[in-house]
Amino acid sequence: MKILGISAHYHDSAAALVIDGLPVCAVQEERLSRRKGDAAFPLSAIEWCLEHAGLEPEALDAVVFYERPMLKFDRILTCALRAFPHSWRAFPKAMTNSLGQKVWVRGIISSHLGVPARKILFTEHHQAHAAAAFLTAPTHRAAILTADGVGEWATLTVGHGERGPNRATAIALLREIRFPHSLGMLYSTFTAYLGFAVNQDEYKVMGLAGYGRPRMVDDVRKLIRRTPDGAFTLNLDYFEFHTTVERSYSSKFVALFGPPRNAYEPIDLETAEGRRFADCAASVQRVLEDTLVEMTRALHQETGLPDLCLGGGVALNGVANARILAESGFERVFVPPAPGDAGCALGAALYADRIHFGNPDRDFPDHPFWGPPVDGAELARLAGEDEQPVDELDDGALIDQVAGDLAAGRIVGWMDGALELGPRALGHRSILAAPHSTGMRDRLNRDIKYREEFRPFAPVVPVEAAGRYFDLPPGGARLARFMSGVFPVRPEWRARLAAITHVDGTARVQTLERDMAPRLYALLEAYGRRTGIPVLLNTSFNVAGEPIVNRAVEGYSTFRRCGIDVLVAGQTRVTKSASALARPKEANA
Amino acid sequence: MLGPVHRWIWRDAGRRAHKLFRFGETETDGGRDLVRAAELTGDPLLRRLYLVHAADELRHGEMFRRRGTEILLALPQGSKPSYQADWLAPSGHGEDDLHVDGRDDTLLAFLHLSEKAAASRFAVYRDVLQDDPPTRTVFEEILHDEAFHMNYAFSQLARVSPQHHRRRLWRARLSRLWKGYLRLAAALAGMIGAVILTLQYFILLPPFAFLARRAQRRETPGWTPISPERKDSLKGQY
Repeated sequence: MKILGISAHYHDSAAALVIDGLPVCAVQEERLSRRKGDAAFPLSAIEWCLEHAGLEPEALDAVVFYERPMLKFDRILTCALRAFPHSWRAFPKAMTNSLGQKVWVRGIISSHLGVPARKILFTEHHQAHAAAAFLTAPTHRAAILTADGVGEWATLTVGHGERGPNRATAIALLREIRFPHSLGMLYSTFTAYLGFAVNQDEYKVMGLAGYGRPRMVDDVRKLIRRTPDGAFTLNLDYFEFHTTVERSYSSKFVALFGPPRNAYEPIDLETAEGRRFADCAASVQRVLEDTLVEMTRALHQETGLPDLCLGGGVALNGVANARILAESGFERVFVPPAPGDAGCALGAALYADRIHFGNPDRDFPDHPFWGPPVDGAELARLAGEDEQPVDELDDGALIDQVAGDLAAGRIVGWMDGALELGPRALGHRSILAAPHSTGMRDRLNRDIKYREEFRPFAPVVPVEAAGRYFDLPPGGARLARFMSGVFPVRPEWRARLAAITHVDGTARVQTLERDMAPRLYALLEAYGRRTGIPVLLNTSFNVAGEPIVNRAVEGYSTFRRCGIDVLVAGQTRVTKSASALARPKEANA
Repeated sequence: MLGPVHRWIWRDAGRRAHKLFRFGETETDGGRDLVRAAELTGDPLLRRLYLVHAADELRHGEMFRRRGTEILLALPQGSKPSYQADWLAPSGHGEDDLHVDGRDDTLLAFLHLSEKAAASRFAVYRDVLQDDPPTRTVFEEILHDEAFHMNYAFSQLARVSPQHHRRRLWRARLSRLWKGYLRLAAALAGMIGAVILTLQYFILLPPFAFLARRAQRRETPGWTPISPERKDSLKGQY
C-alpha cells in the first residue's frame, strides 16, 4: 500500500510517504521552502515525496492528515464560548483563522492532489504522536506517553502499544488530559514570558535553566496542581492563552514572577534581572521534570512494561527525558528523531497502515535520514563558479583531510546523504568542530550561529566510546541515539570537552553507531586517532532564524555567509578564500 | 512636508527603540529573502551580489537591533510604552515583500525600486534625528549601502535584460501599486470581517456561552478516559 502522511497548519508542516509498511521518504516543508517552522500546507514536501518515489497522486491508496480538523475547531469554539465575554478580541481572529482554511483540509488535499475524498483519512493528533513514537521504536511492547501543547482536545495521553507474534499491531491510548490543562502550554507560557518565540524557542528555556536555581518551584506549583487520580490541572487564573491571542500569561502571573522580559533585551546573567529569568527557567524546568517523572513512574507501575515510548513536542526536552529514564522505573526510553508535529506526518501514515488497514508490522529502519540527498557535484560546480578552492577526494582521503581540518581548529560544514527528519542534525547536515575549548564555543556562537551565549552545543561520539566521556545510565546510549537525553560529562573530561559541556556539567550527547552514519563514524575515528578523543561538537547546519540546510546550494550559501572554514558534501571539499563576501568589481558594470 | 510628523515620531526614546527593532526585523527578513534569491539564481555574478546584499541587510538588522538595545537600556525603569505609529513611519523597505521565484529580471527591478524607496525614507529619518547622533550615524551608514544596492540592481537589470529593462521597471512599479491596493483591500476586508464577527459574538453567542459554561462545570478535573470506539475510524474529521 502507498500511504502519504501530512502534518500542517500549526507549525512544522511535513509530508511522509510509506510504501508497503516502510517509509520511503519524509521531509519538513521548512527545509524546502526555507521558512523556519513553516506551517503552510506542505505542497513542496508532498511533491518531493511523490517525485522521489516516482508516483503520481492517483497511485496513492490513502492520504492521512495528522489530526481531525473539525474536532480541533470544536475545541477552539468551545473555549471561546467558555471564556465569554473575555474572548471577544480573540474570537474574530480564531474564526477567520479556522474557517479561512484549517477546517477545509479534506477539500484542500483533494484539490491539490486530485485524490478522491474517500481516500483521505484523519488520525487524532496524539494517535499520530503515539504511532510516530511506538511504530518507529525497536520494541515489541511498550508503554506510550505523548505530551505537547495541544492537539484537538488532548494535551497528554497515556497508553500502550504491542506488536503481536503474527505481526499484528495494536496501539491503545487509554486516557488523556484535555485542554487547557497542558504541560506544553505551561512551558510555552514561560517561553513567552522569558521573551522567546513560542513553539520554537522552548529549548532556549531549557538551556537557560542550566544557569539558574530552581528557587521559584513553589511559585510554579501554584500554577499546576496534581489531581488525586495522578493527572494535573493548571490554575487558569495565571494564564490567558485559552482566552486571548495577545499573551499567554495573566497579570496574576506577572504579579507572582515579576515583569516579563523584553524580547529585544539581551539576558545578562551578571545582573539580578538576568538571574531572575534564569531562575524562572530552572523552576519551570524542574516542575516539568517532576511532573513527567511522577506520571511515567505511575505508568510503569500500571503497565509493568520495561519500555516507554515518548512522543509529542515535550519529548524534545532532553533533561526531562534523562530523568524519566533514571527515575521512572522504565529500562529503556524511546524518543523518535522527530517527536514533534513534523514526525506526525510519518506517524499518521504508519498508524493508517498498521492499525486502520491492518497491514503486518515491518522492522523499522532505525535512523532519521528520510529527506532529499545532497549532491557533491553541485557543490563543486557552485564553488568552481566562484573560484573557491575545491577538492574532489575519495572517501579515505576526504575523511583524513577533514579530521586534519578539525584538529587544526577549523569549523566544518558537513553534508552527507539524505536529510534528517526532525529538529536535530544527527550527522547528515551538521556543523562539526573540535569540542575542547570554550573559545570554540564562543566562536561558533559569535561567527556562525549568531545566538545567545547561554545555549550549549552538543557532542557526537561513537557509541562504544561514549561511556568513557559521558556518565550514561543503563539505556542512556539508546536515548542518546537521536540526541534525546542530557547526561553528565564525566568530571575528568569536562575541561578537555569544554565547548560541549554546559554550565551544569551536562551535554546533550549523540551516541553514534557505525551503521547509522558510516562516514561520520569514520571521521570520529580519524579525529580520535589524531587527538586521542573521538568526540566532535555537532550542531545543526544553519544560522539563527533559518531552517537546517537541505541541498548543496543552501549549504554553500550558508558557508559563504558565516565563519565556516571548510564545506563538505559527498566527496567534495571546499575551503573558503579570504574574499568570499567581497563586493564583485563588476557589480555596477 | 512630513518633517514635523517624523520629528514627533522619533522624539520619544521608547518609540525610537521600538522602531529600530522593527526595522531590524525587516532588514533581517529581507536578507533571508536575498539568500534564497542567491540560492535560486543560475547566474554566478548575481549569486555573489545577492549574497553580498544579504550580508549587508543582515548587518543592518544587527545595527538597528544594537542601537535599539542601547536606547532601551538607557530608558528609566518602568517607563510606559508609547503609541508606536508604525504606519506613519514604515521601515526602509516599507511593506515591500520580496517575492523570490528565481526570475532575476523581475527581482532586480523590484530590488532597485525597493532600495530607492528605502533610501529616501532613511534620508528623512536621518534628517530628523539631529538630537541623536548615534542613531543618525546608523542611518547614514545604511544609506551608503542602500545606494550601492540601488545601483547594482539597476546595472545588473540592464545586463540580464538589456532590451526590456525599462519595461521591467515599469512593470515592477505597477506591481508595487497593485500589491499596495491588495494590502489595503485585505486590511479593509479584515476589518469588516472582524466587525461582523464581533457583532455575532455579542448577539448570537451568549446563550451558547451559557450552555458551554454549564457543561464545563460538570467536567471533572484530571484524566479523561478514551473510549475504544472513538478511535475506530479514520474517516471522520470529527
